[in-house]
Amino acid sequence: MNPFLIILIKTSVIYGGLIGAAALMTLAERKFSAWMQLRHGPNRVGPWGLLQPLADGIKFIFKEELCPDGANPWIFRLAPILSAVPAMLTVAVIPFAGNVTLFGVDFGNLSITDLDIGVLFLVAIGGLSVYGVILGGWASNSKYSLLGGLRASAQMISYELSLILIILCVVAMTGSLDLRAITEAQNTGNPLSWNVFSQPLAFLIFVIATFAETNRHPFDFAECEPELVAGFHTEYSSMKFALFFLGEYCAMIVMACLTATLFLGGYSVPFWEDAPWFIQLGTFFAKAGFFAFLFIWVRWTLPRFRFDQLMHLGWKVFLPLALANLLVTGAVISLA
Amino acid sequence: MVDLLFYVAALVAVLTAVGVVLARNPVISVVSLLTCFGSLAVIYLLAGFQFLAAIQILVYGGAIMVLFLFVVMLLNLGGLSPEDEDGDDPLFHDRRRSAGGLAVAVALGSASLIGILRGARHLAEPANGYALPDEGFDALPALAEAMFTRYSLPFEAASVLLLATTVGVMVLAKRQRAVTPAGEKRP
Repeated sequence: MNPFLIILIKTSVIYGGLIGAAALMTLAERKFSAWMQLRHGPNRVGPWGLLQPLADGIKFIFKEELCPDGANPWIFRLAPILSAVPAMLTVAVIPFAGNVTLFGVDFGNLSITDLDIGVLFLVAIGGLSVYGVILGGWASNSKYSLLGGLRASAQMISYELSLILIILCVVAMTGSLDLRAITEAQNTGNPLSWNVFSQPLAFLIFVIATFAETNRHPFDFAECEPELVAGFHTEYSSMKFALFFLGEYCAMIVMACLTATLFLGGYSVPFWEDAPWFIQLGTFFAKAGFFAFLFIWVRWTLPRFRFDQLMHLGWKVFLPLALANLLVTGAVISLA
Repeated sequence: MVDLLFYVAALVAVLTAVGVVLARNPVISVVSLLTCFGSLAVIYLLAGFQFLAAIQILVYGGAIMVLFLFVVMLLNLGGLSPEDEDGDDPLFHDRRRSAGGLAVAVALGSASLIGILRGARHLAEPANGYALPDEGFDALPALAEAMFTRYSLPFEAASVLLLATTVGVMVLAKRQRAVTPAGEKRP
């Protein structure tokens, strides 16, 4: 088959899957929160409320577009795009499974691309989504939005440092920036070779830092509704608002996939080194799904931090720990 | 296809670079500069330097520009554009300053043009000491080895320079803040 066509098919399937997963996750968020609070959650649209995201999407499209007085219209429109697009781009380097053969056609490895610098690409492009938050907060011409945007960006920058240092530990252990190589290094059939067992501290810091990086509870100071109404997206309505949410949920899904890839061996199946691709894919979904669920679980369980506590945790606890972890990892690698 | 992409990226880079200087609103300047860096990264990619492109976006796009944006936003919470305050275009307000700025711009521009031309000539003849590794710049191990062995001193010197700049800026900013309240208290 034409290689261009294969790339096209893989890209559409993976992006369709990502957007579908983001839509499902909004539903999951509401359903799980309802169950944790002994409610039913959305259950009117479709069986078990499964079509609720679709109804939400239609509702968003028909809502009125508002642009506040004194807001900068161009940057106001640019911000939601800058928030959603980088988050969606990062999924391109996530390896979902090994070699896929379907209907006698060899589709190659199941990922949009296996970049040599995959991790770097993910961190670099993912780091751009901070602009959506900060510009959206600024362009709205509202004090709540501005404060929310400033807080969110300060938080994302602070935690990005620890996040990158932790990723460096894993990269140093594998000797590659390619996410597929990192997965393959853990795919030995023995779950003990997963990085979570050799880097437990790094795993813990990484998971907590992803919460701060995606502005999720207990670190969601970008929104912080008791103080800031809704933070950086206070003034947004209609599909612009939906784009911010799409960006947030896509970022969460990509972070869940990244955690599974870096620390839980990605698509490697325990005790089955060369499993067929659909079993690998299922394993990957189970691992990534757990971390996606963790985002929801934590949100509806823990209370919110205070902003100074968050900064204290980021700069005085996580950063030194991550640096020490990197140092120890480097020392062990060079001695071994 | 590659040529077309290059021309598009180059055109965007030049236009946004002009936009950085001409935009009245500093936030628009920052966004233009960000776009400029992005198109530079595209040019790096087209030249086959994946690593450099990623670093360009990570360091300049992700870190430095966010810092710029912070400073601009925090300094401009009051009046958004200087034009609002005195109803005059600050760019052409002071003839002497404009002339001085133009002279500096021309000097810098011609210096970088000479640099580019000389660099292009040097690149054309490979035997001038800066031998590329066999796999090209993109091979990360080769790049890392060059950076941490042969060029480790310049690399570290650059980091010390950046650190010194950061400390210098903080000292300057601190001093200014310490002087102002004391000066206000004086009768």
